[in-house]
Amino acid sequence: MRASRSTRVALLVYGIVVIFLLYLPLISVGFASISKARYLSFPIRTYATKWYGEALASSTVIELFNTSLKIAVIVTAVSMIVGFFGALAFARYQWRYRPLFQKLILLPIFFPQTVLGLALLIWFNTIGIVPTWKTAVVAHLVWIAPIATLVIAIRAYGFDPALEEAARDLGASTFAILREVTLPLLMPGIISAGLFAFLLSWGNFPLSLFTTGADSTLPEWLYAKMVSGYSPLVPTLGILSVLGSFVIIAVAFTLRWMVKGRQAE
Amino acid sequence: MMERLDRRQGLLAALPITALLAVSFLAPLLLVALFSIMPQKVFSVLNMPDFSSFGVIVSQGYYRSLFWSLSMAFAATVILLVVCWPLAYGMAKVFGRFSLVLTIAVVMTLFVSENIRLFGWVLTLMKGGLIEGYMRSYLGAGPDGMLYNVPIIVFGLVYVYFPFMLFPLAQGISMVPDDARQAATDLGATRWQVFREIDLPLAAPGILVGSLLSFVLAAGAMAESKLLGGQVVIVLADDVETAFTFGQNWPLGSALAMVLIILVGTVAVVGLSRVDLDTIMGRKR
Amino acid sequence: MAAPIILRLKGVKKKFGDFTALHGIDLEIEEGEFFTIVGPSGSGKSTIIRLLVGMDDLTEGEISLRGNRIDQVPANLRPTCMVFQSLALFPHRSVGENIEFPLKIRGVAPAQRKERAIELLDLLRLPREFYGKRIQQCSGGEKQRVALARALAFDPEILFFDEPLSALDYRLRKTLEKELKDLHERTGKTFVYITHSLEEAMVMSDRIAIMRAGRFEQIATADEIYARPVSRFVAEFMGEVNLFDVHGTPNGGLVGKGIELHVNGVARDYGLDLGPEARFTMMVRPESLRFLPAGETADIILQGVLTAQYALGSRIQYNVETASGVQITVEKLREDAFGGGIGDAVVLGFDIDSTHLIGGE
Repeated sequence: MRASRSTRVALLVYGIVVIFLLYLPLISVGFASISKARYLSFPIRTYATKWYGEALASSTVIELFNTSLKIAVIVTAVSMIVGFFGALAFARYQWRYRPLFQKLILLPIFFPQTVLGLALLIWFNTIGIVPTWKTAVVAHLVWIAPIATLVIAIRAYGFDPALEEAARDLGASTFAILREVTLPLLMPGIISAGLFAFLLSWGNFPLSLFTTGADSTLPEWLYAKMVSGYSPLVPTLGILSVLGSFVIIAVAFTLRWMVKGRQAE
Repeated sequence: MMERLDRRQGLLAALPITALLAVSFLAPLLLVALFSIMPQKVFSVLNMPDFSSFGVIVSQGYYRSLFWSLSMAFAATVILLVVCWPLAYGMAKVFGRFSLVLTIAVVMTLFVSENIRLFGWVLTLMKGGLIEGYMRSYLGAGPDGMLYNVPIIVFGLVYVYFPFMLFPLAQGISMVPDDARQAATDLGATRWQVFREIDLPLAAPGILVGSLLSFVLAAGAMAESKLLGGQVVIVLADDVETAFTFGQNWPLGSALAMVLIILVGTVAVVGLSRVDLDTIMGRKR
Repeated sequence: MAAPIILRLKGVKKKFGDFTALHGIDLEIEEGEFFTIVGPSGSGKSTIIRLLVGMDDLTEGEISLRGNRIDQVPANLRPTCMVFQSLALFPHRSVGENIEFPLKIRGVAPAQRKERAIELLDLLRLPREFYGKRIQQCSGGEKQRVALARALAFDPEILFFDEPLSALDYRLRKTLEKELKDLHERTGKTFVYITHSLEEAMVMSDRIAIMRAGRFEQIATADEIYARPVSRFVAEFMGEVNLFDVHGTPNGGLVGKGIELHVNGVARDYGLDLGPEARFTMMVRPESLRFLPAGETADIILQGVLTAQYALGSRIQYNVETASGVQITVEKLREDAFGGGIGDAVVLGFDIDSTHLIGGE
């Protein structure tokens, strides 16, 4: 009872329409970013790349990129480490409080991010920490580290515990098992988790909004400009931010492809 | 022996992230809870508790924004279920290779800041935007007033939370065994009967997780109503923000946040207790 | 013997891309018959059943049920049904709800459904308390019976079985084989059964079709297939047999290749042309061979050395190698065990009447 040909085609067309709709707004932003006019209006009369030139020359923009990058890199590193151990506790080891722990991990993901950002704002205030980009790292971690944990956990579920038991039987210590068996086997999951962490941090604004203090990330600046007054730089920086993400994805896939190629030899 | 080891290692492995969440998630939440019972406009929890904030919520009509948040989230969830089902079914049972393409395409959108994507919709739908602008220049007139209304906010929610419904649903449908569907057909069931008797009950965990995620996230969302809705309605998260920032009234903001947290938290906890996480995340048995 | 034909396949062909799974097969199944299709994996037997129940579309040919073509009828509208290899019981439904499923689909009232389900539990010799039991709580054999009850509730014209016993342990399988045969007699329905085990087929079937690479090799009763396999493939498929390459002699005898086998003036009529150039395969079952003590004789005598022996439950198997290197398998019941040891020179004998000649090869 395979799906009939017409069902198959209808679903396929539907899928393509959905993908188109998902990317339609980005297409609009893309067009807007190369419009010459200061006040955007479609249809676009003249195209120009001058906003890109202006953006790349602006020290504010460099600063925004720097802040976003710093936060994303630290969030990625911490998420990978914390997520690796978290995933083992989530999926691999059978321990008493596992069900409770699983719910604790899911809770921040299910949590409204704006509220989380504000809660962190008053928390930092109360314990006397002045918000800077460093506090934003903490805010991002609250949401992203659990996601990294889940991504690695999916891999850990498919992992045969007998491998660790065999290693122990062969005389490996707990630490040696972790290093020689568990870590290499979960590595693909850890790398995807790192990719997720970087990209989610790079694009996040509800958490950054209240926790960066005087510093500002790229999405945060974009949001501020969108809500109050338009700047012709908004589409340009939007596209630059998206390109940043896609470059990271491309690099990740190229690396993976190269590693696979080497293993295949 | 192995079991005891598992127990100790589980605890140790859980420690780093638990510590992180205790300090930067649970503690702030506790603080919000404490602030919510403080008198109006104080900036410290060392005051005599009263429940004035909750009184203000009722007397100042904040339940209206709560109503909008919850009803728009509900509408978005129902629409998402209908819109995502055929695609999720295709991904789980029909597509093969195209599933991967679709998955990558959908996941990639998650990595673009949601405000950029919503802003893109503004550029697409606004007067003088992609659709209206081009239609006007080719046809003489285009649709006006597509932005700044409640349906467009719901559309924004559906758009932003699309992946959060699609993937759990696809996972749920992939858990429906093919042979059960074939057997039902063989025993005379029509396509609709297979859907109702086999697909729907067996994919229930995926449906539940997807609906929970979409509803909970949409109920706490703010950017959609601000960017697409132009604040035609005020949502709860908006009120929370205003109370904390312009209003400089932390106790009121905290109380509003608590209302949202408790409502949404109850839905999430009750819902999650009904699904076996290990199974849905792909534990091999 | 002249029962009406219930199911007829005419030139049924199935291709998956470039691969041809079925090469235009013909088949007629009689009303009330227990018909089994046997073949190794990849022989096309599962493809046939998927075509018959409507889970796949055929590439060419016709399938008709009582003279009406059904090959274009959707699966849910065909009056036949199948017991799946995995059983495909609905995990979210109780035993009773599983059995009632086809009735529910037809809109039968709940009270009548339950009544019928209870009847079927009785028929399958399952306790009535099973009605409310969860599928996960049933044992392998109980699940088997529930799946059968569900299929019978559908009241199919033909009941198909796709290797439903293959996952069970040996003893349970043996019990259920007999139950299935018994159920066939009690219900009088036409059963079409697919399996890779000829042994299983022989216990239950009225007729057996042996499949190989998308074609039928032989369609006959169990006795016929056992005694007179039409090809080397069928002979070997049945298990341990001795096959010797032989060819005819000018005086109507047979000579073995690589083996001292000379038969002159073969008395028995094999129904084959025993001309001097004809080549055959001679089949002798291991239990038809005897260890000959000095002085005793047989139609055909072979000399060799005992190389191994294995205990197979009630029987003992011996391997003998002749001087020219041909391997021979002999089986004896335990009470007739051969006294010799490994390395002993032995004399084996068998009679012409216990052999079968396969033409061609």
